[in-house]
Amino acid sequence: MNALHEWFIAPFDYGFMQRGLLSAVLLGLSGGMLGAILVLRRLTLMGDALSHSLLPGLALAWWFFGSSPLALFAGALIAGLLTALGSALVSRLTRVKEDAAFAALFILFFAGGIALLGKLPTQINLSHILFGHVLGAGPADVQRAAGVTALTLVALLVFRRSVLLETFDPVFHRATGGHGAVVHGAFLMLTVLNLVAALQTMGVVLALGLFILPAVTAYLWCESFLRMMALSAGIAVFGAWAGILFSYHAGLPSGAAIVLSLGGIFLGSILLSPRHGILARLRRSPQLRHPEADAAHAPHSHHHP
Amino acid sequence: MHAPHHILRFRDVTVRYGRTVALDGVSVDILCGSATAILGPNGAGKSTLLRTILGWDMPGQGEILLGDAHPQHALPRLAYVPQRQTIDWDFPISVRGVVEQGRYPALGPWRRFGPRDREAVDRALHELELTALADRPIRALSGGQQQRVFLARAVAQGADIFLLDEPFAGLDLVASEELAHLLRTWRAQGRTVVAALHDLTLARQTCDQAVLLATRIIASGAIAQVLTEANIDAAFRAGRSGVSAADPLHGIRTTHFDA
Repeated sequence: MNALHEWFIAPFDYGFMQRGLLSAVLLGLSGGMLGAILVLRRLTLMGDALSHSLLPGLALAWWFFGSSPLALFAGALIAGLLTALGSALVSRLTRVKEDAAFAALFILFFAGGIALLGKLPTQINLSHILFGHVLGAGPADVQRAAGVTALTLVALLVFRRSVLLETFDPVFHRATGGHGAVVHGAFLMLTVLNLVAALQTMGVVLALGLFILPAVTAYLWCESFLRMMALSAGIAVFGAWAGILFSYHAGLPSGAAIVLSLGGIFLGSILLSPRHGILARLRRSPQLRHPEADAAHAPHSHHHP
Repeated sequence: MHAPHHILRFRDVTVRYGRTVALDGVSVDILCGSATAILGPNGAGKSTLLRTILGWDMPGQGEILLGDAHPQHALPRLAYVPQRQTIDWDFPISVRGVVEQGRYPALGPWRRFGPRDREAVDRALHELELTALADRPIRALSGGQQQRVFLARAVAQGADIFLLDEPFAGLDLVASEELAHLLRTWRAQGRTVVAALHDLTLARQTCDQAVLLATRIIASGAIAQVLTEANIDAAFRAGRSGVSAADPLHGIRTTHFDA
C-alpha cells in the first residue's frame, strides 16, 4: 500500500506536478482528437514542421519581454501562423508544392530560433524549451491549456460533420456547399494553438508526440472515425499521466517521458492489433502456418502442388 | 403526361483559365428525366462543365439555370459523385457511415440526425443492394461495391440531378456491367443523370442524350444523332495537325478491348 502511495499519489503533493499533470491531460484530450484528423489527412509531418517553427517566436518573445508566459505564447503562435501562411503563399505563388514549402520554411525558422536563443542576453536552458520542463508549469499554463482544450472540443463538436466530410472526401464536401479552405485553415489554427499550449510540458521538438502517437495507435484498433478520435484522446490522457509520473521518478524531461510512454503503447499495438498488427498478419500468411494445421484443413496433403 | 422540360439550361457559357478557354459559348439544355453523357476528348471541357454546374468555376460570360435558379443556390438538388480514386478507402468508416454523409448537407451543423434521415439512408442502402454490407468497413469492399456506396450516398441526399464524374474509371468488366445496368434502371425510373464519360460504347449503352464537346459544342441531343461519324471526327480531331486525310478513322477508334 505504502509503495503504491509512494509511486502514484505522493508525487502529486507538489503543486507543479498537479499543474503539469492537469495541463498535459487537458491537452492530451484535445490534441489526441486533432492528431486523429492529422493522421487521416496525412498531415502528420506538416504538424511536426509546424511545431519546430515555433522556436524563433519563443526566442524573440523572450528577447523583448523576458519570461512572461503570455508573450511566449503569443510569440510562438505568431511564428506558427507565419509558417502556415507562408507555405500556403509560397505554394500558390511559385512552383514549390505545399509540403516542400513547409519543410523549407520550418527548417529556416528553426535555425533562426536556435541562433536567436544562442545570442540571448540571459542564459536559458535550451533543453527545457526543446524537450519540456514540468517544473516550470505555472497556474497560467493550466488556464491556457483549459481554454485551448475547451475551444478545440467545442469547435470539433460544432463542425463535426464538416470535419468528417473534409477529412474523408473534400471533393464531396465542396460539392455540397462546404468551405474546405475555411475548415482547413481553422484546423491548422487549432493545431498551432494546441502545440503552443503544450510547449511548457512537452517542448518544441516533442509536442507533436502527444498528438500523433495516440492517433496512430488508435488507427491500428478502430474502424470508425468517432471511435478513433475517442480512443486517441483516451490514450493521450493515459500517456500524459503515465509520462508525468515516469518523468518524476526517472528524472527525465517531461516531454521525453510522455512520448516514451505513448511510444510503448504504440509499439505494443503494432504487434498486437487484431486486424492491422504484425502478429495478425503473420498468422494470416500461409507460408508461416504450422504444417499440422494445414493438414487438418486439407486431408489429402500429399497432393501438394 | 407533361411535355418534356429542361431542368438544366446553359446559356452561352464561356469559362477561361487564365488565357486558356475551357468552355467556349456553350448553350445546351438538359432534359428532365434523361441520362445525358458529356463526351469529348481529354481537355474538351467535360470536367469544367460539371465544375461549372457546381459553381466551382464561374462562367466569364453566360449563365447556367437549374429550373429558374442559379445552381449555387440549389446545391442540395445536385448530387455530385466524385471519382472513386480520390478517396482513401482505408479510412476508418463503415458503408452506412459514408451513406449517412449524404444527409449532412441538408442537416447543417445543428440539426439532429433523425428518424427520417435514418429512413432515407436505409432506403438508399436497400436500393443499391448494400444492406447486407452496411456495417462493413469500406476497406473490405470491391471496386464495384465502392462505386455503389458513392451512388447510395447520392441517393440518400434526395437530389434531383446526379452528376457523375467518370463513373466507370477503374472498374473491371463485371463491375462495369453492373453499373451500366444500374444506370439504365435509373433512366427507366426517370432520374436525371449527367455523366462525364470518355468511352463512347458505354455512353451508348447507358445514356439516351449526349453532349459532344471540344471546348465548344459539337453536337447535342439524342445520343444516336449526336454520335455520328462526322461529329465524332469533328470533336476528336479538332485542332490536331498531322492527321492523315487518307485515314479518316485515325484517332476515332473507340472500341474497348480490355473487356
